[in-house]
Amino acid sequence: MPRGHKSKLRAREKKRQAQNETKALEDAQATAANHPSQNLPTMGTEDSPLSFQGAAAAAFTDAHGDGEGNPSSPQASKSLSKDPLTKKVVLLVRFLMEKYQTREPVTKADMVNSVVKSYKNHFPKILKRASALLELAFGVDLKEVDPIRHCYAFINKLDFSVDERILHEDSMPQTGFLMMVLSVIFLKDNCASEEEVWEMLNMMGIYADKTHCIYGHPKKALTQDFVQLKYLEYRQVANSDPPRYEFLWGPRAHAEVTKMKALEFLATISDTTPSDLSPWYEEALREEEERLQARLAAKGSKQGKSRRKPCPK
Amino acid sequence: MQSSARRTGVMTDVHRRFLQLLMTHGVLEEQDIQRLQKHCYMVHDRNATVEKLEDFINNINSVLESLYIEVKKGVTEDNGRPIYALVNLATTPVSKMASDFAENELDLFRKALELIVDSESGFASSTNILNLVDQLKGKKMKKKEAEQVLQKFVQNKWLIEKEGEFTLHSRAILEMEQYIRETYPDSVKMCNICHSLLIQGQSCETCGIRMHLPCMAKYFQSSPEPHCPHCNDYWPHEIPEVFNQEKEKEREEAGFSKSSKKSLRSRQQ
Repeated sequence: MPRGHKSKLRAREKKRQAQNETKALEDAQATAANHPSQNLPTMGTEDSPLSFQGAAAAAFTDAHGDGEGNPSSPQASKSLSKDPLTKKVVLLVRFLMEKYQTREPVTKADMVNSVVKSYKNHFPKILKRASALLELAFGVDLKEVDPIRHCYAFINKLDFSVDERILHEDSMPQTGFLMMVLSVIFLKDNCASEEEVWEMLNMMGIYADKTHCIYGHPKKALTQDFVQLKYLEYRQVANSDPPRYEFLWGPRAHAEVTKMKALEFLATISDTTPSDLSPWYEEALREEEERLQARLAAKGSKQGKSRRKPCPK
Repeated sequence: MQSSARRTGVMTDVHRRFLQLLMTHGVLEEQDIQRLQKHCYMVHDRNATVEKLEDFINNINSVLESLYIEVKKGVTEDNGRPIYALVNLATTPVSKMASDFAENELDLFRKALELIVDSESGFASSTNILNLVDQLKGKKMKKKEAEQVLQKFVQNKWLIEKEGEFTLHSRAILEMEQYIRETYPDSVKMCNICHSLLIQGQSCETCGIRMHLPCMAKYFQSSPEPHCPHCNDYWPHEIPEVFNQEKEKEREEAGFSKSSKKSLRSRQQ
């Protein structure tokens, strides 16, 4: 994922940070005191006064480190943690959380360049602590799947099914609807135009401009909700004027729904069996094989390395 | 309770599942959060008593403290609905927005943010934002592309769009309040009642102080003749209703859709 670069705003931020350190802390404490109903927990204990420099200042600063022996804000790094290694652990956990959201595998190089940097030699220790925290707080495991290229993948220790992610107002499962759309996309060579998707949905009595008794607002679900949850990708067809749009499987769909599942769903509603649906059946089989290989590779690396130790807490 | 917040909580799979799902959605309304909590109990610990939401969240936050993130509760500016989001507490180079967007997209957001904060209404028009496309850092972006990026911001709940104008989503306000107050100290507006950041609200025509609509609703709840808390002049604007979870439920059951409810409230302004 592309990351931000150094910006003028960051320089302004740094200057302000150095000048207004105390004021920011005072302000923040006053804010917290003034609307207790809005801030549920206490923010930090007495020993670790937090530097409330604004969360998304991060969005506008460069991704290449803050407080690497930074002379202009010595108090900022102190307030984040007294131990520089701990600070790196915290940053790494946050970095990994973001990568986990999009189910991207992550490499050692990624982690070193974005977070660890000059503490490269302490990488194994930092990674171990970060993995432990990730597991403790989120129930997500980080496994080395490629020991040669130092590539890691996330394994969710909690078992999720598609239903869960979608909190529909009436608690009606959206799974069927999503599966239909994913299946159509698969049938259309993994990329279906918006027209093709609506054609199929219209056949089932689901229309873009009508509220559906079960699925609510189908157009909103397709173009916003499912996209935000990363089950679908909705993009403009290149060079289309007037703009036309197409759908693809999103990263979460790739992670949670196999092509075989989509095929099985299709087979059920069309009263056939998956093996009848060539050439998609062959494509789904290929995907199963690839996933099996990946799982075996992960198992193999686990036997070779003993990285996992019981959680320190 | 102060004492229970300080004790380091115990994370079980119930809490972890809750956290993962909240992260997925970005921001959730109180009703959905309650349903989410119950759901997590159903999956992992059917027979356990569902902990009071405030304690449940305090528990999670005491574990997240060491990571400088927390589940934070806020209130929507337009109609006072309580919302929850996972926010960062300290500056770090990595944040939710930074990993989802490219440099020029982040810069577009920054430009839109500046226009929103500077504006009188809390809204920036699409036209004004798009006119700044040439000034963006990073890869060159065309206006048509910028329109799509703005939609991406809406989808990801950083901006809200109303009739071609954009304002900050309550999630963005929760996450970025401190940053906004520090970056735009001259143009930032504050609510006279809750003393936090104000993007949308009403102002007194005499002395210029501002208030959030839900703050005003609560403040003027039992006043037949509302007066400005600062200059005591007669308050000229219509006072909105206080957000009531029970009334909302009744309306929903009576068959109103969420969108028609919103327009009911906006008409009251």
